[in-house]
Parts: sequence; structure tokens; C-alpha cells
Amino acid sequence: MRLLTRPAQYAALVLYLLFLGFPLLWLISASVKSSGELNSLSASILPHEWHWENYAEALTKQGLLHSAWNSLIVALASTALSVLIAVPAAYVLARLRGRVRVAGVGWILVSQVFPVVLIILPLFLILRALGLADNLAGLTLVHTTYMLPFALWMLQGYVAAIPVELEEAGAMDGANRLTVLRTIVFPLLAPGVVATAMFSFVSSWNEFFFALVLLQSPENYTLPITLNMFVGGEGKVALGPLAAGAVLAAVPSIVFFSILRRKLTSGLMAGAVKG
Amino acid sequence: MKTRRAVVAACLLVTSLLLAACGGGSGDSGGPVTLTFQSLSDQPAAIAQTQKIVGDWNKAHPDVQVKIVPAGWDGVYDKLVTQFNAGSAPDIVHYEAAGIAPFATDGYLADLTPYLSPEKRADIPKGVLDSVTVDGKVIAYPTELQSYVVFANKTQLQQAGVAIPAGATMTWDQLRQIAKATTKDGKYGLGWGLSSPTAAFVALAPGFGGKYFQGTGDNATLSVGPGEMGLPQLVDAMAHQDNSILPVTLTQSGTKALAPFYAGQTAMTVQGSYQAVNIEKDAPKGFDWIVLPPLAGPAGPDQAANPQTLSVNKDSGHVKEAAQFVDFFTSTENLAAMNEADALIPPTTSARQALTTKLGSKNGWGTILASGQYLTSAPYLFAGKYAQWKDTVATPAYQRFLARQVDANGLKSQLEDGWKSVTK
Repeated sequence: MRLLTRPAQYAALVLYLLFLGFPLLWLISASVKSSGELNSLSASILPHEWHWENYAEALTKQGLLHSAWNSLIVALASTALSVLIAVPAAYVLARLRGRVRVAGVGWILVSQVFPVVLIILPLFLILRALGLADNLAGLTLVHTTYMLPFALWMLQGYVAAIPVELEEAGAMDGANRLTVLRTIVFPLLAPGVVATAMFSFVSSWNEFFFALVLLQSPENYTLPITLNMFVGGEGKVALGPLAAGAVLAAVPSIVFFSILRRKLTSGLMAGAVKG
Repeated sequence: MKTRRAVVAACLLVTSLLLAACGGGSGDSGGPVTLTFQSLSDQPAAIAQTQKIVGDWNKAHPDVQVKIVPAGWDGVYDKLVTQFNAGSAPDIVHYEAAGIAPFATDGYLADLTPYLSPEKRADIPKGVLDSVTVDGKVIAYPTELQSYVVFANKTQLQQAGVAIPAGATMTWDQLRQIAKATTKDGKYGLGWGLSSPTAAFVALAPGFGGKYFQGTGDNATLSVGPGEMGLPQLVDAMAHQDNSILPVTLTQSGTKALAPFYAGQTAMTVQGSYQAVNIEKDAPKGFDWIVLPPLAGPAGPDQAANPQTLSVNKDSGHVKEAAQFVDFFTSTENLAAMNEADALIPPTTSARQALTTKLGSKNGWGTILASGQYLTSAPYLFAGKYAQWKDTVATPAYQRFLARQVDANGLKSQLEDGWKSVTK
């Protein structure tokens, strides 16, 4: 028996979307309000007057667009690196048995327990010795290293979900391992790769602490570092420009997601294995 | 096919990025000395003023060029820790007295005592100079200060028949009486954003004879007596006996507590002095506001000074030049302009007078600048684990006290026991 009628389902969906979308809606609303309205007791979503100067200030202050470009480069590069390394490694972790796998899983879990403040100083010293401190390549490597364990963990779950019988069937038909991987495993793994790429991109795009400590030159600052400058000393916050900057900062993520959304299809394996 | 192209593109992107890393790098190459100045200025006017001062310096000193490196306040402590430990700190460091003291204790900052002229030393009030003095050495020049002041809705005070205090100072008892008198018709006398109460309680404690700490660094000890409990108990009495503090403000930040002030829900609000500029900008048209005289407790009107500072990295290859720049930055003219831009109080007497002459009583400036004379050093600036104690012990303990979950004795023991556990 169906518990919910269709209208009730739609109502629930709309409520859920409102719940998810409200913070973004509030952010957009704050980005077009005057300082006076932001600091009044008025709590309307729609501003009394639309003030676009917050966007002008956000764009002109501290080189927000240049920082966004830096963030984009680092996020795309670290996403590409993470995925390139994680895909084969995840396959190995998911399919192999023995000490290597145990060690790999152990490394993934252990790497997640170190607080970043504990590793930041040695990391900085190593990067400086390599000539990679205070540049985007160094930050990309750090982001990749930091995201890789989780990306591996995610992807090996996806690999494990692909029935090994499919690979065996391919082998029975005369395909070698590479052919099996290319024609059977990778297509089925695509949604997992996309999900992992999305996670990696957003993690890198939003990452603050490493960028804060590792980047010393303003021309290398990423977006979170520049947005941080809207928060001042003595508790001062330029709320309107900060909201405008945050809205602008969300755009690339939304674009990236909308491009990859279509790839996030599942059900490719439906009926692949007949019982 | 598409997948292959995507992989190739990704590889190219990564490779080009790594190759790009091989370029770059900067350093002195026998030309003019270049000093890096990590500036935390965040207000547009203050950023422009900082650039102007640096521009003036660079024009007058072609052999010693200063390069501004902007940074944000949030997370700057972690950044400085890494920079100093890794030997990559800027030559000139902008921060605040409470934050910079541990770096001085650890030996990262140059002793600026030899560069401080007798005239400038005499121009900085002793209490403010003490706040930037560690182990007898001046480790920073103070640049900007804030005090806690009371902003009042003049109309509401007059409607309540309250005589507006006009003396050089105003007692806390007067504030309490005015708050009581203006609490009526669903409106409250006072709004005070105390979501993070420790900073305010510690800064205002000297007026009650409160010191909190004795000793410095890791040897600092904490004792909470009548002087330290005076203000929290007064706030508790106003909030829960007089019912003259708008309850919600006790859970809000200072800035959030301005909204009910603008709306006429509270007749007064205790704020950092810099809020004068925001009130002028954000208050509704026709909102008639004033700044009441500086608050004085039983021990006087003193407040703890935690000035913004400029220090010099001890490992800089050009300590002397950096110190000369800091001295230039803190000239009377520059300090007056910087503090006007940031809506803060200059730490030198001459700059405060210059600003008073220029601005008069406009937007409460006269009273705010006058409050600067009562700013003095406080032991908490030099207590090694103060920041950790403040965040993990004191703030939650004060919040529990203001919510009446613990009494005064409970608060006292939580603060003292918390300090012991933090400094174990």
C-alpha cells in the first residue's frame, strides 16, 4: 500500500528543497541588502531596496576574481590528480586480498586521524625545501594528498559494488585484464568517478587552512583567503560584500556540478548478472 | 573517446601547473632593500591609508622599499606560528598586543627599545607602552586602540526623564540607574552583546580592581576575587534582578545587539568604540544617539588596553630599516589618519589630540577619544595560555553564569580550576 499520495510526495519534496535551499536564498538576499537593513531587526527575504554595490565592492576588493581563478586552477588540478591516482589504486584495494590491501586500508584510516595543525609545519618545511611553498603547485599537491585517502575510500566502495562475475565473464570471452578494465569496469565505475571528482573539487575549492598557512603572496591567494579578508579585527564584518563574495564563490561549484550531474547515472548494472 | 580526451586534458593541466611551479621566486639582488609588511587592515579606508603611508615611505626612501602583504585577521595566529617556525615570517608584523606577546616570549621579535625615541616614549601613555613591553623590552609599537563605551538613544533617555550624564566619567551605578529608568513599556534599558563575554569582562575588570592574572608566560597564576567578580555580578543583577537588559542580547555578538538599539527596543548598548561609525552609517534616519562618558568602577575608569601593534621579525635581515619604517608609520600624522580611517583610538597622546582637534565631538568622537586616556596594560596580555583559557574555560563558564546555571561561587571555581587544567 502506498503511504503517500503523489501530492503529498511533491509537498514533502518542496519542503525538503526549501530546507536545503534556504541558506543559499538567505545568502543571496543578504548580498543585495544595504548595511542598514542587514543590521536591523527586519528579517524579510526580499530586500526593501536592492543594493548591488556589495557585488561591486566584493569584485574590486583584494582581487576576488584573481583569487577565484587561482582556486579554480588548484581545484581542477587537484581533482584531476586525485581521480587519476585514486581510480587504479581503488581497484587494487577493492579487488586484491592480502597484506597490501590491509596496509592500504590501514594507511587510509590512519591518515585521517592526524589534525592538520599537527602536520602543517613539517609540510611547510618540506614544501619550502622542494621550492613549492607559496605557489599553486605546492597547494595542489597538498590538496591532492589530503583528499586522496577519502577519494580512495569512496572509489573502492564503488569498485567493490561491481560484480566480479562481470570481469570473469569478460575474461571467459577472451579479453585480457586491460580490456576488461577499459570496456567493463571503467564504464560501470564512471558514476563513482564523477561523484569522487565532485567531492574532490568542492573540498579543494573550499579549503581554507592549508591555503592560509602555505600561501604568502597575495597574487597566489585562493578564494577562501580573500573572502576571509572581509572579516576584520575587533569583530568587524563587512557582511554585505562578504555575502556577495560568497554567492560569487558558489557559482563555479554549481557550474561544475551541473556539468557532471548527467554523468551521475546509475542503474547501468541492472540486469548485468542473471541469477 | 571522450574519456580519453578528458584524461589527456587532465594530464596536460597537471603537467603545466607543475611546470609553472618551477618558475617564479623572489629575493633581494643587490638593489634596494625590500621589506615585507604583513598588514591586517580590512576597512577600505584603512587599506587606502596604509597604502598611502607605505607609498609616502617608498617615495622618501628609494633604498628601502616596503611591500604590503595583505592578510586577514581570522587564522592569522596559525599563520604566524608557521611563518616564525619556518623562518619565513614577514619583516614587519601587524597584530595585537595579546596575540604578539607569546611570539616575543619565544624570541621571534626584535627588541625595538633602542629605536624608540624619548619623545615617542613620552607620547605613549605608560599603561599602553606596558602592554607592548615583554621582559623589559619594547617588542611592538602600538597603533590603534578600542575602548568599551555606552551608546545611548538620547530621545529615549529624555522621554524617561533621565538626566544625561555629562561629567568626565560615569559610574556603573549611574548606568544601572539609567537602565532601570528606561526599562518600561516592553522596552529595555540596555542591550549588551555578551555571547563572548570574556573579552569585555577582562578588559573592564581594572575599573573594579580586577587583575585576574599574576606573573607572566607559563608562570602566570589566576585568582578570581571581588575585583574580578564585580562586573559579572553587576550584569547578572541588571539582567535578572532589575530585568533591565534585553535577555536575547546576552546571547548575541556585539554587532547583533545593535539591531534592537536601532529599533528602540533598548535605550543603551555597550559596544566597542569603533561601532560609532557603523551606528552613523546604519541607524535609521533621525536616530538621535550619543556616547555617554567613560564608565568608571569603584577603582576608577581604567580599561585594559589591547592595542593593535607593529612588530619587527628578529630574523629579518634589516631590523633597523624595519624599525625605522614602524617609527614612520606611527608618526602623529599617520596614526591620526589611520585611526580615523579605522574608527579607533590613537595610542599616542599627540595623535589623539590631533584627531580631537580635527573631529571635535562629531559622532561621539570627543568622548571616545577621551576614553583612550584610561586605557592601561593588563596582566592577561602576558599570561601564556590566556587565549586557550578564554575560549575553552572562561567563555562557557561566563555563559553558564549569565544563564543562571551556576552561581558566583561556581563561576569562580570553574574559572580557577579551568586555568589549572589548561596550564597543567
